[in-house]
Amino acid sequence: MKFLSVLRKCAREQKRDLWILGLSLAFAPLFVFIYWMFTGGNATTSYGILVINHDEGITLSDGSTWNAGKESITAMEQLTFKDGSPILRVNSITDRPTGEKSLRDRDATALIIIPPDYSQVIAAAQGGGTPTTTLEFVGDLTNPYYTVAAVMAITAIDNYTIAMTSEYRAVELLETALGGSAARTEFEIYIPGLFVFAVILIMFQAAMMVARDIESGTLQRLKITRLTAFEYLSGTTTWLVLIAIVTVLVTFATAAAFGFRSQGALWIAILVGIITSLSIIGVGMIVASFSKTVSQAFVIANFPFGFFMFLSGAAFPVPMGTLFTVAGRDISLVDILPPTHAVAALNKVFTLGVGLDGVIYELSALILLSVIYFAIGVWLFQRMHLKA
Amino acid sequence: MNEVVLQAQGLTKTFGSLTAVDQLTLDVYQGEVFGLLGPNGAGKTTSISMICGLLKPDSGNVSIHGLPVHGGQVEAFARVGVCPQETILWEKLTCLEQLEFIGEMYGVPRKLARQRGDKLLELLGLSEKRNKLSSTLSGGMKRRLNLALALVHDPEILVLDEPEAGLDPQSRVLVREYIRSLAQEKTIILTTHNMDEAERMADRVAIIDHGKLLIVDTPEELKHTIGEGDVLELEIKGITPELALSAIEQVLPNSLVSLRAAERSSAWRSNLPHDQEEIASPPTGIRNDNILIRGKNIADQLPIIINTIQRAGGQVGEVHLRENTLEDVFIALTGRRLRE
Repeated sequence: MKFLSVLRKCAREQKRDLWILGLSLAFAPLFVFIYWMFTGGNATTSYGILVINHDEGITLSDGSTWNAGKESITAMEQLTFKDGSPILRVNSITDRPTGEKSLRDRDATALIIIPPDYSQVIAAAQGGGTPTTTLEFVGDLTNPYYTVAAVMAITAIDNYTIAMTSEYRAVELLETALGGSAARTEFEIYIPGLFVFAVILIMFQAAMMVARDIESGTLQRLKITRLTAFEYLSGTTTWLVLIAIVTVLVTFATAAAFGFRSQGALWIAILVGIITSLSIIGVGMIVASFSKTVSQAFVIANFPFGFFMFLSGAAFPVPMGTLFTVAGRDISLVDILPPTHAVAALNKVFTLGVGLDGVIYELSALILLSVIYFAIGVWLFQRMHLKA
Repeated sequence: MNEVVLQAQGLTKTFGSLTAVDQLTLDVYQGEVFGLLGPNGAGKTTSISMICGLLKPDSGNVSIHGLPVHGGQVEAFARVGVCPQETILWEKLTCLEQLEFIGEMYGVPRKLARQRGDKLLELLGLSEKRNKLSSTLSGGMKRRLNLALALVHDPEILVLDEPEAGLDPQSRVLVREYIRSLAQEKTIILTTHNMDEAERMADRVAIIDHGKLLIVDTPEELKHTIGEGDVLELEIKGITPELALSAIEQVLPNSLVSLRAAERSSAWRSNLPHDQEEIASPPTGIRNDNILIRGKNIADQLPIIINTIQRAGGQVGEVHLRENTLEDVFIALTGRRLRE
């Protein structure tokens, strides 16, 4: 079994490049740690809100002062996640320029300006009148957090004013969170993407490991022995899959150590990771086929890396038109990218808690892509580097 | 005559407009050391690459014991060991690991590959380095390991591309002696641009230039093709070399006839530097005012020659006497030196 000899050779070479192996294995866990720190550990995300309360309040018949603006601020502060942590971090300020600067600097996500007649209007409404006033929301609409913060603030204020004016609510809205999505911390939301990112990085190692044999001329020596591309690449791939498995396990272990909770079975996620790595390594072999040096392999690998990161949904959702439909599933161009299916499958497992049957489509797609990319890699490698 | 083990017929390879090898046909017999001699760029390595199956010829074919090399005959490859000109090693594998690995690639069982590897390391003076990474070896040691990698599967035919190039004197002697010892049991094909190497080691030599095979024979027979005898080189002072040659021609006509055309060519008369590589001829000191004379027992004629030059008004400076070399053959065939 020549592929076993190639596997052993890869292992021996890697053993003597321990710092490269160490960096590869440490990369994803390190990013897990960094995200854990940046997202405030296991805390849920709270959105910074600035409030300028111009409400002059009114004096009640008993001589006391009532300020609806202050009560609305309290209502916003009392909005909490299920774990009791606040959804909105409300800070009162006094001038608009300061608030707008904070928004520009993204120190806060929304500025709410409560008008001077706010209490007066609510009081009039309580008495059966129909006066109106305007509560101003200021924010950067391109900031994805603004939408969430504004909706939450509006909900709090709306609930408060309805309660105060005893208005009849004809339609009640019920929000039902899929799986464990309501209970996910921001840190946990990032984990599937990080996980896929760790697997994608194996592509560089795959391409560069093969390119090293090309650059040093040792592949020529192997060519004389009539080693086939399949034997060579399957041996190399087997070694890289072993590294991928360790990477996946170390990444999970690190995430779990920092409080990551998977809603679904972890072994399914690991299986997804392994199959994804197979297809990614296949792409690495295609990259190696076009490379003559290690540095060339690195540069070329950046091309599929860009596609994987920015078009697969690993970094952010990407809208893509449907090319055709298979068994009721819309197939778009991004479906040829393995991370597309990996991200979808991991989100289902981690967040929605689905079982194996829930990710069969994604797993099938990943297996198919692995076979296709590996076959293309073998074919290209034979033609480009092992053909007489 | 021994059995033909390797046969190349009409091998041609072009790269763009360059014909690197042009209709190369040769037979290599069992147990012989066959040398491919030619200057750099003559097509030696391309020929070897086609013979080993690394490069597909545009036309022609190669067979080993009748098995075509370019047709997926794996058995044919197992019979050949190739030692490339460049040192090609896995930097992160130890000496023994590389031998074990390449042995396995040739289908040798792991244990046997290790045993053979150990033996080869011992024979090539690398035993102490068996567990050292190849990146820690000196240049000469790397070249020796390079040779060992070609032998670990115990090939019947060993192909050596410039085996002595870049070797330090110690390694050169070791490798040379080892190749000689191998020649008793294997067929060896070696390429070289070093005529000394070819003359010392090869039973038969094929001279190629510009991709074409010029001649194949034993070194002795090749030297006889351009005439027998020694070569005398004289530094001429006071008169032109042409005048000196003309005067000597009159007293020793038979000695000069076969050599003048080639040896008086600009190549011979140039002041090419004598660099680090082994070159047996021409000897040091060739200058524009030197003449070269070939003939049997030419040394005995030296007093007559000196007297003739003096009578013609000239003086003789330095005198060198040497035997015919393969370089002389190459010059006779091409009008150029091997290292031009």
